[in-house]
Amino acid sequence: MLFNSLDFFIFLPVVFVLYWFIFYKKIQVQNLFILIASYIFYGLWDWRFLFLILASTVVDFFIGQTIYTNDSTSKRKAWLWVSVIFNIGLLGFFKYYNFFIGSWVDFLSVFGYELKSTWTLQIILPVGISFYTFQTMSYSLDIYYKRLTPTKNFIAFATFVSFFPQLVAGPIERASNLLSQITAKRFFNYVQCTEGLKLILWGLFKKVVIADSIAPIVDDIFLNYNDYSASTLILGVSLFSFQVYGDFSGYSDIAIGTAKLFGIELMSNFKFPTFSRNVAEYWQRWHVSLSTWFRHYVYIPLGGSRVSKLKSVRNIIIIFLVSGFWHGANWTFIVWGAIHAALYIPVFLMGRNRIYMNTVVAENRWFPSLTEISQILLTFILVTFSRVFFRSESITDAFGFLEQIYANFSYETYQHPLGYRMIDYFILLGLFVLYEFRIRRDERAPFKFKSKIVRFVAYTLVILGMLLFFDDNIDRSFIYFQF
Amino acid sequence: MKKLIVKSILYVFLILIVLEGLVRVFHLGKDTPTRFLDEYKVEKWKPNQNGFSVTGNRRQNFSEYHINTTGYNSYREFTPTKDKIEVALVGDSFIEGFHQNYYNSIGKKIENVIPEIEVYEYGYAGYDFADQLHLVHSYASQFDLIDHVILGIKFSNDLTRAEYQVVNSRLALESPINKMLKKSKLIVYCKSIGILDPPQELMYRLINIFKPKKKTVAIDEAETLRIKKENEEKYLANFKSLVSKYGYDKKRFTLLLDSRITSPLFLSYLEKNGFNYIDFSASFETSDRSTTLIYDRHWNNHGRDIIAKNITQYLRDINFIKN
Repeated sequence: MLFNSLDFFIFLPVVFVLYWFIFYKKIQVQNLFILIASYIFYGLWDWRFLFLILASTVVDFFIGQTIYTNDSTSKRKAWLWVSVIFNIGLLGFFKYYNFFIGSWVDFLSVFGYELKSTWTLQIILPVGISFYTFQTMSYSLDIYYKRLTPTKNFIAFATFVSFFPQLVAGPIERASNLLSQITAKRFFNYVQCTEGLKLILWGLFKKVVIADSIAPIVDDIFLNYNDYSASTLILGVSLFSFQVYGDFSGYSDIAIGTAKLFGIELMSNFKFPTFSRNVAEYWQRWHVSLSTWFRHYVYIPLGGSRVSKLKSVRNIIIIFLVSGFWHGANWTFIVWGAIHAALYIPVFLMGRNRIYMNTVVAENRWFPSLTEISQILLTFILVTFSRVFFRSESITDAFGFLEQIYANFSYETYQHPLGYRMIDYFILLGLFVLYEFRIRRDERAPFKFKSKIVRFVAYTLVILGMLLFFDDNIDRSFIYFQF
Repeated sequence: MKKLIVKSILYVFLILIVLEGLVRVFHLGKDTPTRFLDEYKVEKWKPNQNGFSVTGNRRQNFSEYHINTTGYNSYREFTPTKDKIEVALVGDSFIEGFHQNYYNSIGKKIENVIPEIEVYEYGYAGYDFADQLHLVHSYASQFDLIDHVILGIKFSNDLTRAEYQVVNSRLALESPINKMLKKSKLIVYCKSIGILDPPQELMYRLINIFKPKKKTVAIDEAETLRIKKENEEKYLANFKSLVSKYGYDKKRFTLLLDSRITSPLFLSYLEKNGFNYIDFSASFETSDRSTTLIYDRHWNNHGRDIIAKNITQYLRDINFIKN
């Protein structure tokens, strides 16, 4: 079920009303109801894969208990490995199996061995598998590191794993944040609910108006990159930056907003990455839940930055490569991760990777300084360049795209594939950037205006924007569902 | 909870009112003229209406229409006499031309090239060949005074009927509930951009939830060809039936068609039996620009220019006018 579908707009109010009017009296009932709703939410996409979620839930629930009750370090470690192997095994089978086989065949072909049978599988990627496997693994890892006491309540744990607002594309929550809220009784909170509704509205705007409306342009340019000049290709990849941001941050806002309606606070996933002043700040603002996950469970266990510079650099390279690979079974994502590692390491070596933590651009000022503007532009250009690999179907296409920019370095006026006015999109994106800059201090309050009238005007304009850019004929699924 | 529900309803209500106002102020939604059935059971627009036709979310196509006293979209009144030279264009929405300012229609484009003639556009969305011949037959006294009549025809959907009957589904659009809904420009706008399609489909699904589903039978190539041939024969029979029932003056009447989407069987029949036709397919095919609008398949200004040129050239070729 998509957040931007009619099905969800029927599902959500029904679940909301039943939750607060019928099933609100006992925490167990609240959780059981949310669990059933979450399984329905997921099962409407493909009920067969519910068994995977259930298996992941059961395995980590019992492994968590076993690790906690075991005093022997070796046994604790062994059980942790069982959890990791099981979850990574699920991911490996459904997401990476064909990639490994294909890569093996390609590797052998370099040495002249042609494999006729490749044993590839015709399997579809279960939506959200990369997200919920990481979430359940974090539970076992936290118990192993003695940061968390396991829950004895299976229903609560199952609800933590399958909580529908964040089940299919995050934010990837740690048990210390989400499970603790699920095991406590929730009470209706008017302010929390209105905040949730506002986030849902803003998330929908980002998805419907920003991401979906420019998707046909990006698709056209990446599909036919051989026919276009440098100016069009640069336009295409720049627009893709906005598309992927609108798509994923829109999804996250809807997820966080929906969770708020049920009295649950999820972590922020996007903190206006467009206004990052260097690549390190960008990673503190883009897909925060995944970055946090890798920092806690990969980077820090490897020694993080508390080891020698050389080892720290190694650790940075590892987490960016793993992060790239997490995104998809394709070399393009690994190269994308490598590019980010290459961009991050100089910032790290100069000791500038933490200088913008907990600050925003133009702090206490209306406008950014010229230095900040140039920093933001440079970061945007670098991150956008890496997205050529993120968006391309293959490494060959990505290099072909870049080669075409170099070979056909000229300007041409781009015509929308469906003949629409391009100026509409430039105005839209200009206004969007200005508005995001205006609200840049708090990603969880997109309509933070003192005046009720201004707030009302903002709601109306956002809805009007959705009407003006609604397109019935495009694929409305979210980009990160494929990860 | 009560506060949340009350405030949400209030906000939704206020936002809808403001959106209705914005849609009206920026004229995002199209106007739809009122239709009626006249004394000869000819369906047409109520005379003397004006409005704007809008296509696309952001007014990508915006044009003015004017329904004349005869009930058709035209800048001029239809007053045929023996003294003047008149040409009638009869057809569906392509001839009706709501997608272009009424003062820049196909007829006007022809008149600009041949100032001595008057072009009367009897276009009405949904008119098929039965509607067209029934109109010509019903208003025979008027059409007898018109020097040449050009009838637009699309073989695949204009010949499905062997005789004229009132199309009730079109007239149902004038039902009280539809009229009431049309008063809200926001609803008209939302419907035109497709935002109301999912709820409509859901309603349809719910209504038909207990109805047994029709089994889809796979049709092979031979069967497809057989059905196609059967349809072509049926359409040709319908054409013959309509022509014999309502009359067809081969000297004065010409068909306007696109041979790319017309059955060779039908074209061969026309040629063998002396039915004249204008085929605009070649000029559309060689056009370096798109001939249709972005949002729908109707002709854009360039497409209309091509049609006008084809008709003008044809009128010259048959020596309808000198030079």
